[in-house]
Amino acid sequence: MEEKKVNSFLNRLKENAQKQTNYGGEFETTEAKMSVKDCPNCGAGRAKEDGVTHCAYCGFEFLNVKLTDGLYIKKEDNSI
Amino acid sequence: MFGLFNKSKDKNEGSKQSYPEWYTELQESQQRWFSFLEKLEAKMEELATASIPELKQLLQEDEDLYKRTFHRVYSGVNGQLNNIRERARDVYEEKVNDLYYNINSQISVLDKHHDLLSDFRIACSDRYNEFDNKYDYWRKQIDKTQERDLEIEYQKILNEFETIKDKFSCKQCGGHITIEKIFLIETYISCPYCQTQNTFAPSTLGRNLQNIARELAEQRTAHLHEAYEAEKDKERDLYHQRHELSLSIIHERDKKVLSEVQSKMNDLEEERQFAIQNAPKLRQVYLRAMYDEWNKITPDLKEHNEKMYQNQLKY
Repeated sequence: MEEKKVNSFLNRLKENAQKQTNYGGEFETTEAKMSVKDCPNCGAGRAKEDGVTHCAYCGFEFLNVKLTDGLYIKKEDNSI
Repeated sequence: MFGLFNKSKDKNEGSKQSYPEWYTELQESQQRWFSFLEKLEAKMEELATASIPELKQLLQEDEDLYKRTFHRVYSGVNGQLNNIRERARDVYEEKVNDLYYNINSQISVLDKHHDLLSDFRIACSDRYNEFDNKYDYWRKQIDKTQERDLEIEYQKILNEFETIKDKFSCKQCGGHITIEKIFLIETYISCPYCQTQNTFAPSTLGRNLQNIARELAEQRTAHLHEAYEAEKDKERDLYHQRHELSLSIIHERDKKVLSEVQSKMNDLEEERQFAIQNAPKLRQVYLRAMYDEWNKITPDLKEHNEKMYQNQLKY
């Protein structure tokens, strides 16, 4: 009798846990990928020495922040 | 002689027989409390033994990256266990403590029957402690179901990295780009040929490395943590041993025995002082080793981790 009670409690718990949706929606797993962003204004590519904040050709603003030294991005990556 | 001893015996027997009327109430309450806890313990054991294999299986089967289904069931089981504990606490307050205070307010501490009341309280609270120890035991057993071998997950991430690191080429000129290390977030990688800034987005699996890194480092240095914990507990343990010895010689007159015990006590005290000094050192050894491992797993987070390490040393 007691044992049945425990098992039904566990089953109910499991059922509810499986039914419950996760906060923030379904989880999506993605593969590693590589992409490149050309200037949407003039179509020019972005080269390392030109920095990443502005387009070297037409001056289009990709990022409106002044970059500071971080792990992957350095302050040299600001376009002049 | 003079029947003195007989008299005192009679007196004792007389007092034993004439228990106050509240004594039966105490006995009944004690009995009820004991059998109530027995039932709760049985319930607790049943719940734990049924859920532990279920939880282990669930952790294996849970497809979610964060094992959220498992954690929901896990907290449900813990909640149920906690309910049992709270029930014991409430009943203790209501049936044992209330009765104790109620009677205590009616009789004087100097009353010859006051011992009965104290004994009742001590017996009940000892039994309650025993129950609590059992609760702790089951709680720890349930806690253990969370443990999983993170080396396996780490190996998966490393394998994935091996397969992808030479897979990419520059989107602009098609030149080969090698991924140097496991990146945890999106990163610009410039093409070695045309210098174009490509954006590399790591996979979900790769990003998850930062979530398991600390736990993995802790798993790898668990033996050092245990050594620290053992050293930390030694202090109390040695103190109690010494205390027992000091109690044992209260009535001792033999100087030889006294000096022997005293030297043992001194040794214990010395060991205790050493443990007090040594425990923080072992903690530092553990922390350093753990952070070193952590930094090895995610070198990118080293700067941040070191700040955390320095902070942790202060406490």
